[in-house]
Amino acid sequence: MTPTEPAPADLTDPDAAAGASRGRRWLREPLLHFLLIGVALFMFYRALNGAGDEAPRSMVISESRVDALAENFARTWLRPPTAEELRGLVDDYVAEEVYYREAIAMGLDRDDTVIRRRLRQKMEFVTDDVNSAVPVTDAQLQAYLDTHREQFVGPGKVTFEQVFLSRDKRGDGVERDATQLLERLASPSPPSLLDVGDATLLPGSMRDATPADVDNTFGAEFAEAVMKAPAGQWSGPIVSGYGLHLVRVEKIEPGALPGLAAIRPAVEREWQAQQRRQAKEALLEQLLSKYDVKIEGPLGDAMRAAATAGAAEGKR
Amino acid sequence: MITKTGLRAGMALGAMLTLPMAAIAQPANEAAPAAAAKATYSPYAARKYPMRPLFGDTHLHTSASADAGAFGTMLGPREAYQFARGEEVMASGKQPARLSRPLDFLVVADHSDQMGFFPDLQAGKPELLADPTGKKWYDLIKSGQGAVAAMEIIGSFSQGTIPKALVYAPGTPAYQSAWRNMINAAEEYNEPGRFTALIGYEWTSNTGGNNLHRNVIYRDNGDKAIQSEPFVTMKPWGSDDPRELWKWMTAYELKTGGKVLAIAHNGNLSNGRMFPIIESFSGKPVDKDYAEQRAKWEPLYEVTQTKGDGETHPVLSPNDEFANFERWDFGNLDASSPKKKDMLEFEYARSALAKGLKFESELGTNPYKFGMIGSTDSHTGLAAVEEDNFFGKTAPQEPSPERMTATFMNNPKTGIKIMDWQVGSSGYAAVWANENTRASIWDAMQRRETYATTGPRMVVRFFGGWDFSKSDIQTRDLAAVGYGKGVPMGGDLRAAPAGKSPSFIVAALKDPIGANLDRVQIVKGWLDAAGKTHEQVYDVVWSGDRKVGKDGKVPTVGSTVDVANATWTNTIGASELVSVWHDPKFDPRQRAFYYVRVLEIPTPRWTAYDAKRFGNTPLPGTAMTITERAYTSPIWYTSGG
Repeated sequence: MTPTEPAPADLTDPDAAAGASRGRRWLREPLLHFLLIGVALFMFYRALNGAGDEAPRSMVISESRVDALAENFARTWLRPPTAEELRGLVDDYVAEEVYYREAIAMGLDRDDTVIRRRLRQKMEFVTDDVNSAVPVTDAQLQAYLDTHREQFVGPGKVTFEQVFLSRDKRGDGVERDATQLLERLASPSPPSLLDVGDATLLPGSMRDATPADVDNTFGAEFAEAVMKAPAGQWSGPIVSGYGLHLVRVEKIEPGALPGLAAIRPAVEREWQAQQRRQAKEALLEQLLSKYDVKIEGPLGDAMRAAATAGAAEGKR
Repeated sequence: MITKTGLRAGMALGAMLTLPMAAIAQPANEAAPAAAAKATYSPYAARKYPMRPLFGDTHLHTSASADAGAFGTMLGPREAYQFARGEEVMASGKQPARLSRPLDFLVVADHSDQMGFFPDLQAGKPELLADPTGKKWYDLIKSGQGAVAAMEIIGSFSQGTIPKALVYAPGTPAYQSAWRNMINAAEEYNEPGRFTALIGYEWTSNTGGNNLHRNVIYRDNGDKAIQSEPFVTMKPWGSDDPRELWKWMTAYELKTGGKVLAIAHNGNLSNGRMFPIIESFSGKPVDKDYAEQRAKWEPLYEVTQTKGDGETHPVLSPNDEFANFERWDFGNLDASSPKKKDMLEFEYARSALAKGLKFESELGTNPYKFGMIGSTDSHTGLAAVEEDNFFGKTAPQEPSPERMTATFMNNPKTGIKIMDWQVGSSGYAAVWANENTRASIWDAMQRRETYATTGPRMVVRFFGGWDFSKSDIQTRDLAAVGYGKGVPMGGDLRAAPAGKSPSFIVAALKDPIGANLDRVQIVKGWLDAAGKTHEQVYDVVWSGDRKVGKDGKVPTVGSTVDVANATWTNTIGASELVSVWHDPKFDPRQRAFYYVRVLEIPTPRWTAYDAKRFGNTPLPGTAMTITERAYTSPIWYTSGG
């Protein structure tokens, strides 16, 4: 595609769109309905009589439309169109508009998946755009944070030491060794930590570690166990994929909710995602409310049966 | 999305203020030699080295990649980040997916050519449908034959026959908005200290179907990355010659003051072009300029991924009994040209590292002085390569009863046929970064302090120096000794002290939820006085009391895999292997490299989990077990340096 081709979104003339919104109130007038029915009957009988000489329908190409065509041309060719070229552009636009109207009138858009999807997408884009256009305030984010605390509460933090006993090295005796060592560590004159346990690549201690940190290093079961271990004393053994561990937890801090300032980008991201989702759902809901959808065939029957059953369940 | 994933994601979000590495404390009584120069009271104060590797994927495609989209991938970059952060997402095939544990970082690396093309094609943009080929692809996708369309897109792109009307090139509004969207997604999900979303893209040089792909990774934030659009291969906007990519990288850095590096991948599908001695674009021998540019811009190589392993090949390493691993040596990327034996030496990491030594002796620069990482190259938006949680390379290969017997690629002209079961569930990049931030991860990549894994998250340390001894590994903090007396993986040893041979600390800790380790090996490559390259694999430390056999090798560890039930037990192997190794055949005049290979005990391959869970029968010859592994970046010895 060329860089400056008009967006395919530009199918409706803005002037026409404005007219349509003004005209909407008229659409509800009974007089109008009466007139329309009359016109329809008139057309119907004319059609039956095979008359093809109906009055031409009007197509107004506004000045702003012509200007837009010229501008588009200029963006591609980096110069304004000549008078002849401009006439060509307008002619082409008229042809496009005629085909467009006739195609719509013949319902050619209805069975075309491409056009249907594209239109749906445009509707969804509209809601997306509406959302991203609105700047979010701190108050909104604070409200979101307050109602979604569980998403943002910081994890607990644990500080502990551990002594490792390798199953690889000690074999079946590892449990017995662990029990004995636990007793020694708990005694009034405990041995130095450097002299006990087996050397390992695992850290001997972790400071202010989140459960995720502990999980990444020792595995999930160890992480869970250490978060429950009593503070200020040696306990265990805790089993990990590596062997046995005696642990002494220094402190466990419960998770806290950080202030908005500290996590604003994350809150905003989640808020935006929620807004997009909600706007999309709301739009669909609103549009759906205008329709009474009936699905035919066995599937429809099954769905209705399920809905009725669900409603009965709800009443009970 | 978060609400459903519950506690873990919630904890994770809150954890953003904590740097995970800072959590691991050092034993109080042992001062780090690294910090010994000026002791501080706080043992943590002077510590400048990383305590835990960060795991991630540097190579993930989403629906923004034209081929991924055609395959049916619905997940965009945002979903990819959510998944990598540990959240549950709905895969393209409408089944829920989640990682066993979050990753620490992710690079969404969509193809720069045609970036954003697919979402537009899928939306049926009129301009694309006006072209007969575009219309045909669109129809194929809509009729559920996306995989056929994807293969055609890859093929037409490889062969340069993509219609003009379908070219998405830099400078067009569609392209700009696609790139902006990629950057915005990364900015939204990048949370320093908790999860890093590095900005990147894939430059997909694929002339004639020969894979010369590179992933470009930014150190920078969006404000710099947005200032210039990705380099493409499509003429006239870009080029398929790596030299032109390096020029683009130079220009980007000059313009923005930012930093980028490039990681090549899948030499095994380059048909002898990935590590050339003759440049395929000019037909001239690799010269000093090529060597310098490549060394400058490409510090890493992606050595393992879904489309095969790239460490070495049985033909190149006939004495290496572990060389025949997840082999993809059929031909080039689109199977349009079959493999010939003489191509292999220019395709695999180990032989390239050796060739690099020779270049360095001749040109003064080693063009192939790269470190190693693994990554997925998944086209699903899902960086899921654990064997029991493999979501395939492309959307049609997401878990299903069909995938184990389906065909991935079939080129009747060359007779090359690749089955889905041959796709590997691999790999991840492990990075020894000080902090979980863009800058820190990128810096660790730049200094090659990285290793590749085929999926498991084993911790691997590797230090080289002149004075390591057995007593050093008795310490509770290997890192302090390693950094204090030597250099880490990716580093250099120079100027051997008289009479000394280099010593290495190797240490590996199994994945906390993974299989035990069989052995740790050191692979040495060197250049002799006659200019000939050599390689040797040494078993350094292994589990149990196995004795070295007459052939000089440690006997096999055995296997506990129950294929029918897709289980194994950690009753063999070791959870941790540590040793000090001295090179027994060191010659101070010879250039050499040393890297570590860690081998797990055999475990069920993803195919075994599939057979068990879907109850289907594998095709004859399907590999059902795997020996997972890690490859570290080398440490180089340079004589007289």
